[in-house]
Amino acid sequence: MTFSLKAVEELGSLHGEPEWLRARRRASWAAYERLPMPSRSEEEWRRTNLKGLDLEAFRPWEPANGAAPVDTIEDAAAVLRQRGSEPGRVEIAPELAAKGVLFMPLSQAAKEHSELVEQYLFKGIDPERDKLSALHGALFSGGTFLYVPKGVSVEKPFVSQFWSSGGGAAVLPHTLIVAGEGSIFNHVDEFLSPTLDTPSLTSGSAEVFAGRGANVGYVSLQRWGNHAWQFADQKVVAEQESTVRVVNIGLGGRFAKTRVEASLRGPGASAELKGLFFGSGEQFFDYHTLQSHVVGNTTSDLLFKGALRDSARSVYAGLIRIEKGAQHSDAYQANRNLLLSKSANAYSIPMLEIMNNDVRCTHGATIAPVDQEHVFYLESRGIPRATAERMIVHGFFGQVLDRIPVGQARDLVEQELEARIG
Amino acid sequence: MATTVPQINVGDDYREKYGFFDPEKFVFKAKRGLNEDIVREISFMKGEPEWMTKMRLRSLDIFRKKPMPEWGADLSVIDFENIFYFLKSTEDQSKSWDDVPDDIKKTFDRLGVPEAERKFLAGVSAQYESEVVYHSLHEELSKKGVIFLDTDSALREHPEIFKEYFGTVIPPGDNKFSALNTAVWSGGSFIYVPKGVSVDIPLQAYFRINAENMGQFERTLIICDEGSFVHYIEGCTAPIYTTDSLHSAVVEIIVKKGARCRYTTIQNWSTNVFNLVTKRAVAYQDATMEWVDGNLGSQITMKYPSVYLMEPGAKGDVLSIAFAGKGQHQDAGGKMVHVAPHTTSTITSKSISKAGGRTSYRGLIKVHKGAHDVKSFVKCDALLLDDESISDTYPYIECDENDVNIGHEATVSKVSDEQLFYLMSRGIPLVEAETMIVNGFIEPFTKELPLEYAIELNRLIQLEMEGSVG
Repeated sequence: MTFSLKAVEELGSLHGEPEWLRARRRASWAAYERLPMPSRSEEEWRRTNLKGLDLEAFRPWEPANGAAPVDTIEDAAAVLRQRGSEPGRVEIAPELAAKGVLFMPLSQAAKEHSELVEQYLFKGIDPERDKLSALHGALFSGGTFLYVPKGVSVEKPFVSQFWSSGGGAAVLPHTLIVAGEGSIFNHVDEFLSPTLDTPSLTSGSAEVFAGRGANVGYVSLQRWGNHAWQFADQKVVAEQESTVRVVNIGLGGRFAKTRVEASLRGPGASAELKGLFFGSGEQFFDYHTLQSHVVGNTTSDLLFKGALRDSARSVYAGLIRIEKGAQHSDAYQANRNLLLSKSANAYSIPMLEIMNNDVRCTHGATIAPVDQEHVFYLESRGIPRATAERMIVHGFFGQVLDRIPVGQARDLVEQELEARIG
Repeated sequence: MATTVPQINVGDDYREKYGFFDPEKFVFKAKRGLNEDIVREISFMKGEPEWMTKMRLRSLDIFRKKPMPEWGADLSVIDFENIFYFLKSTEDQSKSWDDVPDDIKKTFDRLGVPEAERKFLAGVSAQYESEVVYHSLHEELSKKGVIFLDTDSALREHPEIFKEYFGTVIPPGDNKFSALNTAVWSGGSFIYVPKGVSVDIPLQAYFRINAENMGQFERTLIICDEGSFVHYIEGCTAPIYTTDSLHSAVVEIIVKKGARCRYTTIQNWSTNVFNLVTKRAVAYQDATMEWVDGNLGSQITMKYPSVYLMEPGAKGDVLSIAFAGKGQHQDAGGKMVHVAPHTTSTITSKSISKAGGRTSYRGLIKVHKGAHDVKSFVKCDALLLDDESISDTYPYIECDENDVNIGHEATVSKVSDEQLFYLMSRGIPLVEAETMIVNGFIEPFTKELPLEYAIELNRLIQLEMEGSVG
């Protein structure tokens, strides 16, 4: 079975979704059929090579399969474990449920909390933005719904783990996070699969709505196997005086394209967007970011750091957009790339569109190999060259690692990097 | 269909200083619009060899086939059928200032060209509408073998050098406007500096559009042979009409081993001119190419001077300022293409927007495979003088090699209140204080100009600034 309207309908009834959601899926499917494949004549896709991606080759979903590795993050407030494309199983502390926290598979939430989900789902992300977004809109499967009511603060992180062990199918989870006024919590999405021979199609899209004064951390830990094609859209909508910290860790996939967008809609809103990617072999990473200052007195701070070895490639393109009335905005954007081998390459396009003069706005980008002076310094202290280089790469990532709001996730990424840098 | 764009004044005295126009007098004026016959006619009028006529026709074909660029400024208002592509205003080119027809002479007198020539220039070329009307070069330079001609004469007098280089740096198919220029080019400067010759004082060309709906398509070709040096300055103005004119030049520069070329532009077209220019240089071993690019006038400018660094040791430099006032969009920047290892480049861009004007920096650093040990740095500073103005930065960095060092930095700010307070506390009025700060902001640019130009630029900025503080 390939992608088709029938598959869309079947998925909807399989999950027993309400009619409004099925209608949305159908609308996205129509958009998918209408829209052409992104072409390299479009600015966003000019440096992104979709050669080898055959959308006909994927099954529309994947049954639960294989045994996932043990939980990597222990001591969570709640855990959702999803296998393949099927709705995940949830463990949540009873006292949280008593406080009114909702944490469940998105399909279940669509049934049980239909109005709440309808109010937010795909209100941040446009499911008709391009063909691949539309495919996600029509066939997203599983995913998490997290709602933390007004004033509730949860110390331990919420964790969703998405595991896929079969190739040849589409695994398209969607995370929807709604943070009530003044709520405080962190959520970690972990995407995992072993490296397989048959390509698979994945997403990992997320919408985060931060209500007034909320403080939300969102971490995306992308460790798909090196057979995966990933197209993910992330959107943060920050209301007045809210703070959202998003950290993207990109380690897996043969091709991983992620859009990270933050819209600052209320005065005092602040968004921190951090990213770290490490590519080896033939991996390709593509990040398109947007810091949209819709109103004044808002802050955004972006830092994406990538290191590439072997023939890995990366594209970073980011835009800070400050609207006409958004006085006293403060925006920062930096992209740093470390090239560890001759055939690795990185493209960097940090852009600004400023419609207003009373702002502070700075950006920077660099592309460079490991600084030989640093290597020399370490070598002169008796550290072997290979170790010295590894230390430098570690140090390079430190700035982003430090910003991962969940300690265990930070340790996990450090271990993973250690293994990959080798 | 004629498109009318509202008339805009830049500074109060553009009108009296540059905005005047003379009655149109011409010995030949091609019909409005663009077709094969017009292109043939231009070529015929100039008595060109057949290869050039063919190249023009081929380019016209390319121009028609290429779509309008969809990025950058809005160019949809240009009506290519409403433009005069060729206007010959005098029969012969003069070598003596006295022989220049009176009304044209008056124009350049008012612009201060002969005075500038006397003071500090090694050679002057003045282009009026489509062709160069006056030309001079110091005798000792011509003795050394320096060639400084208008491009039409160069084709007649030095056909071999011309054919060897023409269209090699910017082929007609490079973009829609380079194709248009190659089809209808006329005038411009041709410079050849022989091996080891250093032209110590600048050569200058002055471009003037006088007629309404005029299209000026000058074509400049500069060849710096091994170990030579030249500094070329161009200035541009036009009267203020209610309908648009188009200026679409192509500038090709070849800088050979160990040579250095500096190309300075002070573009001060009136605010109804569309300025769409392709400028590119190739720099060979140990050669240096410097673009000093000032954009003050025009309605829309799209111009990205570029340097292709072809051999080790080559160095490219772009220093650019843009000032956008009401109704103006300056989309400028620079491109550095590193083809060879051990090459370096810098781009420094300073832009100022006021009264709703929009400045965009658009640039590219491209490092090709094999071009290791490359260093490149881009710095963009933007100053927004009020809250209706817009500033954009679009820096592209494409790097296919790892042993490189590339950096980009940009800031956008307003005139600092602290600096204003400091100056005002010393009794300097607000307008003056703001002007001083703006002049300080562009100082890295002005200090690269010959003194006379630096003074003139500061004065222009002062005029632009007046009345800008409310």
